[in-house]
Amino acid sequence: MYDLIVIGAGPGGYEAAAHAGRMGKKVALIEKERLGGTCLNVGCIPAKTFLRSSRLFHECGKAASYGVRLGSIEFDMPAVVERKNRVVGTLAKGVEGMLKRAGVEVISGHARLISRNAVQVGPERYEAANILLATGSRPAKPPIPGIRSEGVLDSDTVFSLTRVPDRIAIVGGGYIGLEFACFFNEVGAKVSVYEMLPQIAAGSDLEISSRLLQIMKRAGIEFHLSSKVLGIEGNTIRYAAADGSESSVSADCILNATGRAPVVDGLGLEEVGVDFSPKGVRTSEYGKTNVAGLWACGDVTGRRMLAHAATREGIAAVNNMFGKKDRIRYQAIPAVIYTHPEVASVGRTEEEVKSLGIEYKKSVVPMAVAGRFLVEHEGGTGMVKVLAGARFGEILGVHAIGDASSEFIIAAAIMVETEMCVSDVSEIVFPHPTVSEALREAILGVH
Amino acid sequence: MAIPVEVPKLGNTVEECLIAKWRKHKGERVSAGEVVAEIETDKATFEVTAPVDGTVLETFFDEGALVPVFTNLFVIGEAGESADAFRPQGAAAPEGAAATQAVSTATPAAPKADRQAARPVPAGPTGPFSPRARRFAEEHGFHPAAVTGSGPGGRVLEEDLRKQYYSSPRVSSLAKKRIEEGMEIGGEGSGTAGMVLSGDLVPPATRISGIREKIARRMRESLSTTAQYTLHTSANAGGLLLIRAKIKASTGVPDININDLVTFCAIRALLEIPDLNAEFIDGRIHRHPEIHIGFACDTPRGLMVPVVKDAHKLTAGELSLKMKELTGQAVQGTISVDDLSGATFTVSNLGGLGIESFTPLLNPPQVAILGVDAIQLKPVRRDGRIEFIDAIGLSLTLDHQVIDGAPGARFLKVVKEKIENVESLCTI
Repeated sequence: MYDLIVIGAGPGGYEAAAHAGRMGKKVALIEKERLGGTCLNVGCIPAKTFLRSSRLFHECGKAASYGVRLGSIEFDMPAVVERKNRVVGTLAKGVEGMLKRAGVEVISGHARLISRNAVQVGPERYEAANILLATGSRPAKPPIPGIRSEGVLDSDTVFSLTRVPDRIAIVGGGYIGLEFACFFNEVGAKVSVYEMLPQIAAGSDLEISSRLLQIMKRAGIEFHLSSKVLGIEGNTIRYAAADGSESSVSADCILNATGRAPVVDGLGLEEVGVDFSPKGVRTSEYGKTNVAGLWACGDVTGRRMLAHAATREGIAAVNNMFGKKDRIRYQAIPAVIYTHPEVASVGRTEEEVKSLGIEYKKSVVPMAVAGRFLVEHEGGTGMVKVLAGARFGEILGVHAIGDASSEFIIAAAIMVETEMCVSDVSEIVFPHPTVSEALREAILGVH
Repeated sequence: MAIPVEVPKLGNTVEECLIAKWRKHKGERVSAGEVVAEIETDKATFEVTAPVDGTVLETFFDEGALVPVFTNLFVIGEAGESADAFRPQGAAAPEGAAATQAVSTATPAAPKADRQAARPVPAGPTGPFSPRARRFAEEHGFHPAAVTGSGPGGRVLEEDLRKQYYSSPRVSSLAKKRIEEGMEIGGEGSGTAGMVLSGDLVPPATRISGIREKIARRMRESLSTTAQYTLHTSANAGGLLLIRAKIKASTGVPDININDLVTFCAIRALLEIPDLNAEFIDGRIHRHPEIHIGFACDTPRGLMVPVVKDAHKLTAGELSLKMKELTGQAVQGTISVDDLSGATFTVSNLGGLGIESFTPLLNPPQVAILGVDAIQLKPVRRDGRIEFIDAIGLSLTLDHQVIDGAPGARFLKVVKEKIENVESLCTI
């Protein structure tokens, strides 16, 4: 009998298991594939490793503008994949070590609930006072004829590419599609993106996503917005454009980047009576499901579907199950899109603020107000946008586009989390010269 | 020319009033008839208006002060004029004259004035602040509602404030701003490490008004000092409705309503059974030869009970007129305190709001109160057939200390008979 069984060893599950283990609890972590989950194996980490290489390759091409002359440069895809595997391997070892130190027992296999406090893994049955569902998500397969065919890549299989395709068509203009669009564009592929909505990066602040669209178009990526993909046959995509006209295009590769779907099947959720839908397992802000003793965190809940949100949810669930009340606050979870340039945001978008009827003030400054930005990003562009309450000046949302914004968005997250007001920020010292000074200027520009 | 405005005399028994609120402050322009101050007696709230157009030159008392009637309350004049000539004894000192004031109040000028001098509602720390404590409070913007001083004589030391400051829950910047606007911390903070966020705040509990406090006390007294019980019955309302129909169809007759008519019938019943027109005080029953009818009246300030004196001498039309007049004054807040006391019997009507029966609370030392309920259809057997009649509900609360069930029921029976024969009692 365990105190806790965690199903799924992604950043939600392994962090939660280790946290419980460090609390002295008897914990088992069941994983059917590899430790680290999507994030470490086929998500955040590999994607960012690829993007680092493509960025470097791209910058080498621009080195002359910094006064550095290079000879011929070449993108070595197998070496990039090899480096990715090394990085993933190092981090996976780190996870393994952390779990070991925390005293977590790792069980390999597919777990299925047989009651609210028991799971079946192969022939074995394990019991626990608490079970945390952290099964994550998998690439979504929307009802587009041909999208399930083997030739269509998704964010799991794209990492196995051994050479850069000449032409790639990406279905979906969300963060996954956009990051891969950047990667393939920088390494020389001809990239076209098909997005059903009239904007890219749905859910982002419109002013920011519009700027991102402009920058990516200028970089040579082709966008088909308000375009519906009707079917995929072999290497050909048939789509209806915004005006309703139908066309077909062929590409060497087609990448399905239409989003991710929570893994809720094959877990025995129906049998145990868990409240769930294809959109995820319903949880409270304490991580509880409707069944006592059953908890859930991360993508399987369908809530924020971000690695760091999963970690927070998992730790909060563990705290709550062992008697320390911990409420998850969703209003200050930052999000980053690792395009070039990066997009980072936290809090409410201008569209949300308007639809909620909140009276607000806003300030937008170009990234170039920070000297460091000019120094580091020859020809770079970007901006920081701050939304603040009209009456008290509380910071409602910060949206930035421009490199290094992912590294300073945490400062904005703390401001939103702790309900800081514009006037408080003037008392905070921002280091000089750093790109974060653009954040300071934007906040102090709210009048 | 500067004109002083006094605290009006609001009734024979009123000696002093509480300054509830200044609606206009020193230096503000006002027009004749505009409300400058709200004052309260223990029975009601009243408004004091500006007699002429002008500027408020001076307000002599703080909110919360008890001020005797006929004392100068404020002065209206032209900006720049002096109001000093009208300053009453015991008033707050003008700015910059604190020292003089301290001397003058120290002299035994008028013992009465001392008692009546401005008495702000006590709040804040238990003792005086040490200079260092005061500086800490200012520097940290920390002004707790209460802090226990550990210095001599309850003096609040810096250490006392510091302890409280660092053990208090942390409050977000936004929450702090909203607290300054009146919101209060509801429960534990939901932010990081228990920080109080704006979503954790709740609107403040509101302090009840003087008149509400009075109502609350009287209601508690009613229940704790009597042995009340309620009898319910109903009377055929055919006659009442017929008279109403006649009034509506005629012109030039007083607009007597159902409640007026029922009150009129109750007065007639009291004349027959005077035991209920009485007060029970300290073990003695005081039966009153006159009938002074109190009637419950819903006003913006809460429940008020105006009293029609010598109601037994009035015709139905006169009674109705008097009740309307007093109701108007009660709603406006202009009613004299004398018209709010001295009842020997009370009527309360919730029938107009559709209430089918209720338990009116006695107004001690009175021994009875009649509740008038809604008119409803009621089946009756007549000549072997079931018919429906309009019936008005009656709810009579009595003090069992002095009125037993049977005499109470007999009185209610008489009221019922009067109502059912109302057409013969009053002519329209």
